[in-house]
Amino acid sequence: MNPSATEAVNVTDKPGQRRGKGWLLLVPGMLWLLMFFLFPTVQLFFTSLYDPSGSFEQGYAMTWHFQNYADAIKETSDLFVRSFLYAGITTLVCLLLAYPLAYAIAFKSGRWKNVMLVLVIAPFFTSFLLRTLSWQAILADQGPVTGFLRALAILPDDGRLLATPIAVVAGLIYNFLPFMTLPLYASLDKVDHRLIEAAGDLYSSPFTGFRKVTLPLSMPGLVSGTLLTFIPASGDYINAELLGTPREYMLGNRIQSAFLVEQNYPLAATLSLSLMLLVVVMVILYIRRSGTEELV
Amino acid sequence: MSKPLSSQVSRRGFMRGASLSALAVGGSGLLASCGTEGAKVEEGSCESTDKSESEQEVSFSNWPLYLDPIKAKDTSTLEKFEQVTGIAVSYDTDVNDNLSFKAKVAPQLQACKSTSRDVFVLTDWMAAQMIELGWLQELDHANMPNVDANLLDSLKSPSWDPERKYSVPWQSGMTGIAYNAELTDPVTSFQQLLTRPELKGKITLLTEMRDTMLFMLLMQGADPEDFTDDEFSNAIAELQKYVDNGQVRRFTGNDYTDDLKQGNVAACEAWSGDIAALGNPKFKWLAPEEGISLWSDNMLVPNLAEHKTNVEKLINFYYEPVNAAKLAAWNYYFCPVKGAEDEIAQFDKSAVGNPLIFPAEDMLSRGYTFMGLDATQDKNYQAQFNQVQGG
Amino acid sequence: MAQSDGEQRSGAPRDLHLTEVSKRFGDFVAVDDLTLTVPEGAFFALLGPSGCGKTTTLRMVAGLEDPTAGTVSIGAEDITGLKPYKRPVNTVFQSYALFPHLTIFENIAFGLRRRGVKDVKRQTDDMLRLVQLEQYGGRKPAQLSGGQQQRVALGRALINEPGVLLLDEPLGALDLKLRRQMQLELKRIQTEIGITFVHVTHDQEEAMTMADTIAVMNSGVIEQMGAPTELYENPRTTFVANFLGQSNLVSTDVVDSSGSTVIVDCHGQKVGVDESRSHTDQGKGWLGIRPEKIFASQRDSEDLEDGNQLTGGVVSDVSFVGVSTQYLVRMPWGQELMVFEQNTGQRQSFKSGDEVDLAWSPQHSFLLDADQDAAAGAVREDVG
Repeated sequence: MNPSATEAVNVTDKPGQRRGKGWLLLVPGMLWLLMFFLFPTVQLFFTSLYDPSGSFEQGYAMTWHFQNYADAIKETSDLFVRSFLYAGITTLVCLLLAYPLAYAIAFKSGRWKNVMLVLVIAPFFTSFLLRTLSWQAILADQGPVTGFLRALAILPDDGRLLATPIAVVAGLIYNFLPFMTLPLYASLDKVDHRLIEAAGDLYSSPFTGFRKVTLPLSMPGLVSGTLLTFIPASGDYINAELLGTPREYMLGNRIQSAFLVEQNYPLAATLSLSLMLLVVVMVILYIRRSGTEELV
Repeated sequence: MSKPLSSQVSRRGFMRGASLSALAVGGSGLLASCGTEGAKVEEGSCESTDKSESEQEVSFSNWPLYLDPIKAKDTSTLEKFEQVTGIAVSYDTDVNDNLSFKAKVAPQLQACKSTSRDVFVLTDWMAAQMIELGWLQELDHANMPNVDANLLDSLKSPSWDPERKYSVPWQSGMTGIAYNAELTDPVTSFQQLLTRPELKGKITLLTEMRDTMLFMLLMQGADPEDFTDDEFSNAIAELQKYVDNGQVRRFTGNDYTDDLKQGNVAACEAWSGDIAALGNPKFKWLAPEEGISLWSDNMLVPNLAEHKTNVEKLINFYYEPVNAAKLAAWNYYFCPVKGAEDEIAQFDKSAVGNPLIFPAEDMLSRGYTFMGLDATQDKNYQAQFNQVQGG
Repeated sequence: MAQSDGEQRSGAPRDLHLTEVSKRFGDFVAVDDLTLTVPEGAFFALLGPSGCGKTTTLRMVAGLEDPTAGTVSIGAEDITGLKPYKRPVNTVFQSYALFPHLTIFENIAFGLRRRGVKDVKRQTDDMLRLVQLEQYGGRKPAQLSGGQQQRVALGRALINEPGVLLLDEPLGALDLKLRRQMQLELKRIQTEIGITFVHVTHDQEEAMTMADTIAVMNSGVIEQMGAPTELYENPRTTFVANFLGQSNLVSTDVVDSSGSTVIVDCHGQKVGVDESRSHTDQGKGWLGIRPEKIFASQRDSEDLEDGNQLTGGVVSDVSFVGVSTQYLVRMPWGQELMVFEQNTGQRQSFKSGDEVDLAWSPQHSFLLDADQDAAAGAVREDVG
């Protein structure tokens, strides 16, 4: 037998002559992005450079005031830190909760699979705001959870859950758990069970098999899950607003109030863009590090 | 093997993306790169035709707990208005605080676009701002004889709208302290509210700067009707202390009643009528020892509202003493309408002489209204206050 | 590498024993009280139609299924309760089950790394050479062709020098030509390294090409076990007769079973069967003759050979398939018998309607118990 090179699948061989027409498919999406992402982002960029001494009533002059960035970040550095801290904790806990859940749904749920998937996305049938509001009731000082924890002496008698960092992070975790679970599930569901058998056959204990086969194969889901959780969580303000106090406020709260209450557009734009930029940098570093560019 | 290919593709993609964004920069540069115009609308530049004749409807935005229940068919004042005039009212309680409501309608009003609202109710200082910005329509008093006849003299000519050309009071009220008698002893002063250790994390303050800072200034010994920048900054620093040490749980708009009802909050800064309107005797309202904040909320008709005449009919309706009395007996705010006290005696003896509805002189004498602010002051103070709220 | 633990082998032979093994899934009996021994170093095939229990048997050896009853042992070591990753057994899976996220090198090195073996690089390179994939070590499985992937799967298992190598339909996904090539390749490697191969397949030709010993399985039991020629020439059941190659089965009555040739009456004509090939000695029996063993000749011609004869047939169908011509001959009792004749060019082929007599040697037929279904094993999924 002569294994010839032609036997190998030549992956670089793509039907090049079709490429020109393929681009046409991108046009609607590109136009959409142009109008509703790129254009507003550029607007935001200009807005962030307005003279900070202007006001909504008197108008803002364009003075290319790059100093806005330094000022804003200096003034709100604690909010940046807190936002990323809360988002980081949220992502980590979501991962720890969602992985076993997604694993169970993918491998162990049998005929209950669809039911369980529907249950995972069931919260989406209610609005984000309403769900967070109902967490207010659940965690209320006179509510059942607080009462239970006080009875167990886990919380002191005058302790509370609502309006604490715990409540804010718990709300974030709850709200973003499906965003972690679904991509993980999608990845795990694609893992061929026979590969796990093969790992066992090749001297891997169940744990080693998980570490060497299942986990690496679920990396695309893990990476997209963490991104889908971390990115929106770091910009969220509803949870801090409804479940926290000013001491738990995140960057989103400041942006919200700058835009919608103070109408301090340059500040709001500066903060929005800074957050966006920081998140993008973090995401790039993260994807580089996890080395899953090909898989994502 | 696939690596060089993928990076090739992404490089090409990047180039295209970059050229597209260059295009976008070129196109949009004209719009945002020159800054914004002021928000002021010049008189006569943004007028609309009134369709009240052909469209028997009114769209009305108000604060929560400010109108007797619409669903109570027998007593509802709004229902009665609809029956009498044949005008359908679409009623929304989407005003939670002055600034966020302003933020909601500002983009339309500054650009002379319709807010889809015919009338909304905002506090004096915000009404003053909007008049200044040229965002409101002038009211025709010929359609509102009851206003001229029955509006309390004390409210007839505020400095910011001396002839009531643009505004008519809906209700007046006081800002003070509310507490839950099941959870705490009476909280009789702001000093107590902010310093009693057992109330830590169980109090809320209002997002309305003028309400909250009025008390902070009083606590500092300053006069809220006449204070300096330094006095204000000191009061802010004091407030920051109570936020940092966790005494203050949250800053809220009109939704403070939710935390109060759920028992999350034992005491809070509150508006006088809301607490009575909650209808539960365990919730008490009192005037703090430091003094009280006095204010009025005003009905305003924004530019491009198309049913101004219908609104005027509505205002006229609520200035009939009998209707004003019905409303006040439910919402427990100061009634701005002469003769309402006599009317109220007809159906609710207990409300007669209720200090929340018909304030006694000695209480009014302890009342303060916040100093009028120019635009720079307003921006400066509001920024400081937001800084405290924003953590 | 076969030499590396040669010492151990020269001691107790590491034969694979299955003793009274059963496997039930609910009410369904997949494997029924199976006992068999695969001698060390054998190329052993488990042959049967899908659902016959052959894959379940294999998975019990691998440890991927637990037997409901019975024991599995290699040499003296009982491995029935061992987890798969503790068994000296490796598997080449039907789908190959290569790890898509690892390179070919890492796929092959996988077992070595898990066992903490030193010298991974040299051993893996050796194995890449053995399966002729030296230059593909850095690629991912998806970049290889089916045949190459198959060799990776083989190398990945072999590198661990297992006591027994299990192959679960390893060539099922390959096209015919490549399959032929790989059959020879597998046989070469097995001969070279001497590891026991247990090969599960439904393809009788594949089994016969490669295996020293074939066990034909049907409905959870082994119908017959033996060398390929023995199974083919002397099947003991109608199932084996039909599943391995093709057979003409003719209803007969045993007339005399006292001699070395058993005489049977076949619709009035008497024919003989070697005693060693008679698996019944009284009453009714199925007379089996392979189609290629039958010589057809013109009615009453002198060509007719000595030995067994059945006369009075009429050719009802002729198909020319290149190396041979296949006839259907309608016999006086209505049955159609298959007759294959090599196209040697020595004589003219028959045409439909020609009257022919049939003849064969008594050593080339067999006699089976008539209680069995004559069609058992005849209908099978033909994959080539």
